Amino acid sequence: MSAVIELDNLQVRLGGRAILNGLCGSLGGKSIGLLGPNGSGKSTLINTLLGFHPPAAGSARIFGQDIRTSSAELRAGIGYMPENDAFISNMTGVHFVRYMAELSGLPPAQAMERAHEAFFYVGLGEARYRKVGTYSLGMKQMAKLAQAIAHGPRLLFLDEPTNGLDPPARQRMVQLIREIRDDGGIHIVISSHLLRDVEECCDEVLILRNGSIAAISNLEKERQENRKFVELEVSALNGASGPVEGFTAAMEAIGCECARSRNGSIKLVMPAEVEVPRLYSLAAQQGVQIRRMNFRRTSLEDIFLQAMDGGSAAARSNGNSPPPPVKSQGVQSGSL
Amino acid sequence: MAVYKRNYRPYSGALTASPWRFLVIARYSFAELFAIRFFGSVLVTCFFPSLVLAFIVYLTHSETVQALLNLQNTNFLAINNLFFVRLLQIEGWFALLLTAWVGPTLVSSDLANNALPLFLSRPLSRAQYVAGKMVVLLALLSSFTWVPGLLIFALQVTLDKGTWLHDNWWIAPAYFAGALIWIALLSLLALALSAWVKWKVLGSLALMATFFVPAGMGEVFNVVTRMRWGRLFNPGYLITVIWNDLFRDALHFHSAAWENIPVPLAWASMLSMCLICVWMLSRRLRAREVVRG
Repeated sequence: MSAVIELDNLQVRLGGRAILNGLCGSLGGKSIGLLGPNGSGKSTLINTLLGFHPPAAGSARIFGQDIRTSSAELRAGIGYMPENDAFISNMTGVHFVRYMAELSGLPPAQAMERAHEAFFYVGLGEARYRKVGTYSLGMKQMAKLAQAIAHGPRLLFLDEPTNGLDPPARQRMVQLIREIRDDGGIHIVISSHLLRDVEECCDEVLILRNGSIAAISNLEKERQENRKFVELEVSALNGASGPVEGFTAAMEAIGCECARSRNGSIKLVMPAEVEVPRLYSLAAQQGVQIRRMNFRRTSLEDIFLQAMDGGSAAARSNGNSPPPPVKSQGVQSGSL
Repeated sequence: MAVYKRNYRPYSGALTASPWRFLVIARYSFAELFAIRFFGSVLVTCFFPSLVLAFIVYLTHSETVQALLNLQNTNFLAINNLFFVRLLQIEGWFALLLTAWVGPTLVSSDLANNALPLFLSRPLSRAQYVAGKMVVLLALLSSFTWVPGLLIFALQVTLDKGTWLHDNWWIAPAYFAGALIWIALLSLLALALSAWVKWKVLGSLALMATFFVPAGMGEVFNVVTRMRWGRLFNPGYLITVIWNDLFRDALHFHSAAWENIPVPLAWASMLSMCLICVWMLSRRLRAREVVRG
């Protein structure tokens, strides 16, 4: 996995205060989440990567290019959705997005075409000729997303993309982010203090605390590793207990560690080579119906709380640098 | 991509030339200005003095028209440096009024809507952003100041059969330079005030106040202290001193009571004003505002 963002002892001072303290790390995920409590430096990190704030010390690279020396070149391939309201209120939505696309270098005709596409893509097709100032908060968020993707960037910065959205709108935004991540050759950096948003969209997460890296975790690996822990609720087709015991024995025979709980459910640890469909076929062979299956995985909340408790420790599970592991669940920590 | 295929796709087509991309800002700002009701009418009005003076130039050379108008003596219509500096002064007033109207809308709306992060997250520097906005004022003000002024000069050269061009060739560069200095000052002032005053009406008032309040206070200062330096803060006076110098004392300042500000000092004062405007813009036009403390 090649690095999208590399931080090399990055320090940023604003208004005489250190906001980011010597960040070191490498992020290469398709979708990277920036997590942290309010004031932890998430937005400052994005602003620094965009060239809005100069680093006081250290450096940062995006796709291998230094943000100081190749700022304009980098920004041509970056889309940015700011946290706060940012638009031109007396312009129609489609003209606003076209304007932004032209500033990114698209010729007028292509910019117009892509502005229309972007508006339909984010679900505002019918409202694209309305002035942006008349949009609701949710529509403004979508318009901001449209202007960020219209020029087809390689890297997309989304600063609190679900801020102020109602649940359906939030779900739509999360869905869009996942589609963008999966559809094109684009990397996404999402800054949020909402764990759920990051968990649903990201495969790698950088957790900041007081301007320092508290953890870097590869969520995809976490998910894969924790897929072993499964809880099954089963019932025999004929109501007898024999088939359930037979099913348990069959699972043990293929290497699963099983335990029956008091309420009748089966908890098992699956070896890496056993896939879930195998369980279904075993159940069918034994005359057992799997009524419910739960994967118990370490949630992002666990990782986050662990990082918040862990002090200024850099945690990684992507193997880019080898700090000594101090915690289980795939989250590793090391001093900065 | 068809509209029904709602998939994200990266852009792989050609890009426009990066150094000229700031003109996109100018183009959209022009579109916004011309969408304002009456803007076209006001702009046309600004051409009126030039049309009148072009007619006067024609009149001085056309005996037929003079006869038709029953003009016996046209000596008072001499086409000389005074004629052109008066034209420049009139156009300068129109330029000030138009700038006070359109200038405050240029940057303040972007600031009010917090749009600067969107501009500056693109391959566009702060200088290019300002250049894009400034092009709007430069083009608009040029269109009815030095462009028609030089056309009138060309008309005079064409109609005159004598040695007028040989004696007065220097008026053309003086006119161009004089107008450009005024336009540059107005544009920078308008943008700087637009960056600091978000409310359009207040921005217009602030621009007008920049010309009249220091002028009044400067005169009070002069009277109280019995000195002359109060006029250093009066942009209208300073530009007149500079124009008078460029047009070889057309306004006869040497005999006026207010001759005391030396020309180099007027230039220095104007330059300082421009630099203050640049500093104001640089302080204000940032993608993110940093609060100290």
